[in-house]
Amino acid sequence: MEWATVKPAAFDYAAPTSLAEALTLLGDPDRDATVLAGGQSLLPMLNMRLARPELVVDIGRIPNLAGIEEREGALVFGAMTTKAAVESSALVLRQQPLLHAATKLVGHPQIRSRGTVGGSMAQADPAAEYPAVAVATGGWMRAVGADGERTIPAADFFVTCLTTGLAPGELLVEVGIPALSAGTGWSFTELSRRHGDFAMAGVAVTVRLDRAGCFEESRIVVFGVGDIPTRMSAAEELLRGERPEPSLYRRAADAVRDAFDAPMSDIHASAEYRLHLAGVLAERGIADAVARAHPGEEGPNR
Amino acid sequence: MSLDCLPVTERRWIGRDVVRVEDRSLLTGRTRFIDDVVLPGMLHCAILRSPFPHARIIQIDTSRAEALPGVAAVVTGADALAWCQPARSTPEGWGLRCLASDTAHFVGEPIAAVAAASRAAAEDALEAIDVEYEPLEPVTDPFRAMSGDSPLVMEGKGTNVMFHRVFTWGEVDAAFAGAEHVFTEKFRWNRVGANPTETFGTVCEWDPGTLELCVYGSIQAASSAALGCAGTFGIPSSKVTVKSQHHGGSFGGKGGARGIVVASMLSRKAGGRPVKWIEDRSEYLVAGGGQAWDRHYEASIAVSGGRVTALSVTLVDDLGASGEGFGALGAAKPLAAFTGPYEIPTARYDLSLVATNKTPVFPYRGMGPPPHFFVLEQMMDIAARALEIDPAEFRRANFIPADRFPYTIPSGNEYDSGNYGEVLDAALSLAGYAELRREQEEARKQGRLMGVGVVSTVEPGVFDWNAYAIVGMPQTGVPEGATVSIDILGSITVRVGFSMEGQGQYTLVSQLVADYFHVDMDAVSVVQLDTRSAPPSFGPGGSRLGVAISAAVLGACQRLTGTLRRVAAALLRAPEDQIELWDGNFVLKDRSGGALSVAKVAATMLARSDLLPPGVDPLPEATYVWTAPGRTPADDEGRAKSYLTAAQAVHVVVVEIDPDTGVVEILKYAVADDCGVRLNPATVEGQLDGSIAQGIGAALYEEYVYDEEGQPLVATLADYLIPTINEIPVTQKTAVVTPSPFTPLGAKGCGEGAIHTTPAAVMCAINDAMAPRGVLLTEVPASPQRVWKTIREANR
Ligand SMILES: Cc1cc2nc3c(=O)[nH]c(=O)nc-3n(C[C@H](O)[C@H](O)[C@H](O)COP(=O)(O)OP(=O)(O)OC[C@H]3O[C@@H](n4cnc5c(N)ncnc54)[C@H](O)[C@@H]3O)c2cc1C
Repeated sequence: MEWATVKPAAFDYAAPTSLAEALTLLGDPDRDATVLAGGQSLLPMLNMRLARPELVVDIGRIPNLAGIEEREGALVFGAMTTKAAVESSALVLRQQPLLHAATKLVGHPQIRSRGTVGGSMAQADPAAEYPAVAVATGGWMRAVGADGERTIPAADFFVTCLTTGLAPGELLVEVGIPALSAGTGWSFTELSRRHGDFAMAGVAVTVRLDRAGCFEESRIVVFGVGDIPTRMSAAEELLRGERPEPSLYRRAADAVRDAFDAPMSDIHASAEYRLHLAGVLAERGIADAVARAHPGEEGPNR
Repeated sequence: MSLDCLPVTERRWIGRDVVRVEDRSLLTGRTRFIDDVVLPGMLHCAILRSPFPHARIIQIDTSRAEALPGVAAVVTGADALAWCQPARSTPEGWGLRCLASDTAHFVGEPIAAVAAASRAAAEDALEAIDVEYEPLEPVTDPFRAMSGDSPLVMEGKGTNVMFHRVFTWGEVDAAFAGAEHVFTEKFRWNRVGANPTETFGTVCEWDPGTLELCVYGSIQAASSAALGCAGTFGIPSSKVTVKSQHHGGSFGGKGGARGIVVASMLSRKAGGRPVKWIEDRSEYLVAGGGQAWDRHYEASIAVSGGRVTALSVTLVDDLGASGEGFGALGAAKPLAAFTGPYEIPTARYDLSLVATNKTPVFPYRGMGPPPHFFVLEQMMDIAARALEIDPAEFRRANFIPADRFPYTIPSGNEYDSGNYGEVLDAALSLAGYAELRREQEEARKQGRLMGVGVVSTVEPGVFDWNAYAIVGMPQTGVPEGATVSIDILGSITVRVGFSMEGQGQYTLVSQLVADYFHVDMDAVSVVQLDTRSAPPSFGPGGSRLGVAISAAVLGACQRLTGTLRRVAAALLRAPEDQIELWDGNFVLKDRSGGALSVAKVAATMLARSDLLPPGVDPLPEATYVWTAPGRTPADDEGRAKSYLTAAQAVHVVVVEIDPDTGVVEILKYAVADDCGVRLNPATVEGQLDGSIAQGIGAALYEEYVYDEEGQPLVATLADYLIPTINEIPVTQKTAVVTPSPFTPLGAKGCGEGAIHTTPAAVMCAINDAMAPRGVLLTEVPASPQRVWKTIREANR
């Protein structure tokens, strides 16, 4: 009786138990196949018939696709690692507090208990937190396809709204997020209508201050405003070598506002308002990151 | 008869926080909702909807759909024309048929429907229906709609103005002309509405043998639905049975008849197989019963010597494409509390109801006064601010004095009782008002935008149809009945005509009967009857059922006691008038002689015909149907005694606004209210909490947005922002009790509750916060974007 209330357009379903099998299914050029991970974005699309794949390949039964490990200064997440697992990982909290903070802002506990790291990257929602973290930390994606595997820097992975550099038939298997090095200050700020909603605008910031307390290196990534999470090179440049102070942050905020030609607009936030918010959040985010930074410190995070 | 007394030494259930009898089934997943109803041979319905706000339907071809496997029936506007009448509506004559036949009037309007072996098959079949449309120019702005050159929503009508009338109560013009101060402002209340956890659903069976229609559904008002079906199909109402399932909330949003009519037609066409239709959330949001109150206001108040002497409100109410949702009632209901808690001697209401190419509006909790009070309370604050009077004291000075009740307001309704000053004091002291103002002064010195809203409103309770007479509801009474029956083992069953919807009325019934007959609540069962077997019943709505059902149950208990007493008198060999029921036993009034339990007397009636006094039937059962006493038909200015009770509340809200982002944070929320005697205080508190949440939704988050072309931009709950637990402040609450002199046990209607007050209070707090910047936000919801824009105006 259950199926009687199912609403998506008809599709075939496969739950391969090996990576090879999955790649074979996904690589079939005659079938329009879609990966199912946590389903938190895909299932609504199926029910609304906005997604109409012929085949849904559930990758939840492939061994070794979930888990968190430390490898060469980075945290490496199997694509099927849930956000709930990230949120409760002591390793993440210690090595990558920015990711931990961002995780808490992804939807609600129910969503995080099913939604996956790989799913968020592959979905590439412009207002999603994880892509912004990946870009802000200099992360990378490891994809496997019929022709073998490759590693794609986060900066190249996100192409445009809901579109990534994954080739047809390619599966995202791992996401690498470098650990935050010691002394690095960070912040992750966003504004959403309600707790757990996609952000109207958000800013991820990392800063390193030199011995003199001046900006040595900074990364400012704005999400929810452009079609992908975007580094604010002009603002970063403006900070370099300068002494942290509020008037500087304000100028950086102006540079952020100048960085977008065509900000997104929807019923919750007009383009104008989003742009304004991006500046406000950048200003606040830089200040917060500076407050967390330890000037002159080097080496791995402790 | 007087229904006030419970014949017990001590009330063990009424007035206490009891565990709800509904909850065991709800918490163990045993409550059967509409989607749990599965009938043999049942088909599933899916509905094809108009993608255009206004279009001519040139042609519909269903042949491909009909040929698909599993498809049993397809209906279109042609079937609707053949089989049914347009929906009943207010104002009359503005209803549409359940499926559009030649013109589509709003996005989401049903065009065709399929019954198939599964929902998926039905959805597939929709894609195989070919419709040729010719788009027409839509009208979405009610002011444009009222103008001469506007496209017409219903061509045959020749106008988009469904209704226009000016009501004048007292010498308003003179009051304005002679006033020391007159304040005028415009306001915009954007569309919000009910969003129950469960959307609408129905299973309909058109029996070709008996030619009877049986409808199961998550229906708020079953008897109205049954009458509506009979009228729509032109069949005797005795051939329609509506069985309302227990359901996951309604708040007014489940009144829509279209789903029932469409599923019934499909059942008829499919040879009588039952057809289930479960509205999905997007259908509900786009074209269900969830939209209400799309309003443009202009208001003026006259003030002399610190007293408001006149109130004038002009309302242009955009009802969308049809009057089928009875959204007009929401514009009529403010007459029941037009001047709020204030002694304002004169008033005017200039009311226009306008059709546009948007989804028809439906009732929503509060049914119209919440936007009205948003306007009235902003005006009170605007005046207080200009006159430099503390807003709490300005309200106090204008309150109806406690010794003036029962009090008739200019728009005709009578308030039963109240002590508004005491409620205000309770709220101010709970909130620490004086200290709040000191904190605010500090905050302002630091440039922070902190604001305090103090708002007082009246909740009309226990509706009668005469409240809506001005838009075409002629009747006065809304009877509610109950049957109380005792079986041979002394167990008590109460039969009612309404289903469980969440407010805990089955608990209330159990409390009442348990106290009346001095038994445990567990000994009482409440059974719901369908519309053909139930006594007259309307069900929940208009803050009425608590009062109405308690009167009905007490009446039935009293009537049954009368019968039992005749038997007891025979058994105790004493004159009937010497005997009374007390603590569950029939005893002699002087307490001499024996006692007979209610159970024993009932059992004797059923088992011992030899002992039954002559003329007494062996039927320990009684039915009582209650209707509010003293209601009057509306006069030529719409004035009527309509709602029986008037609860009152004062909310104190503290907010702080982030001027850079426009985000409003609620720092404190205090409530004092007086809804008379609380029959189950926990239930009252639950109603308050839910209603505050909906009020905060309306004030800050929720909005059905349309673009200028009439396309709805809200289709999911990621667009329509219902506040979650994270957005709702923890409230402090206190109660004042002024019993109603008009209701059994002194209770007042309180089901709609805080939504009357919360939006006004939050908006007053926001405007108080922004006051130093000299700006005013006159539009709800106060989204961060709107607040930011308003503050930016000040900076320019
Ligand atoms: C109520 C609600 C609130 C939400 N709020 C937020 C929020 O605030 N922030 C936020 O970022 N997200 C939010 N989300 C989205 C959520 O985080 C999703 O889980 C996430 O976007 C997708 O992860 P998933 O595992 O569920 O992927 P799925 O839904 O299963 O898949 C998403 C897409 O990615 C593809 N895909 C998934 N895994 C892979 C892979 N390994 N290789 C290749 N392609 C793959 C799928 O084919 C599909 O196209 C919310 C969702 C809901 C329902």
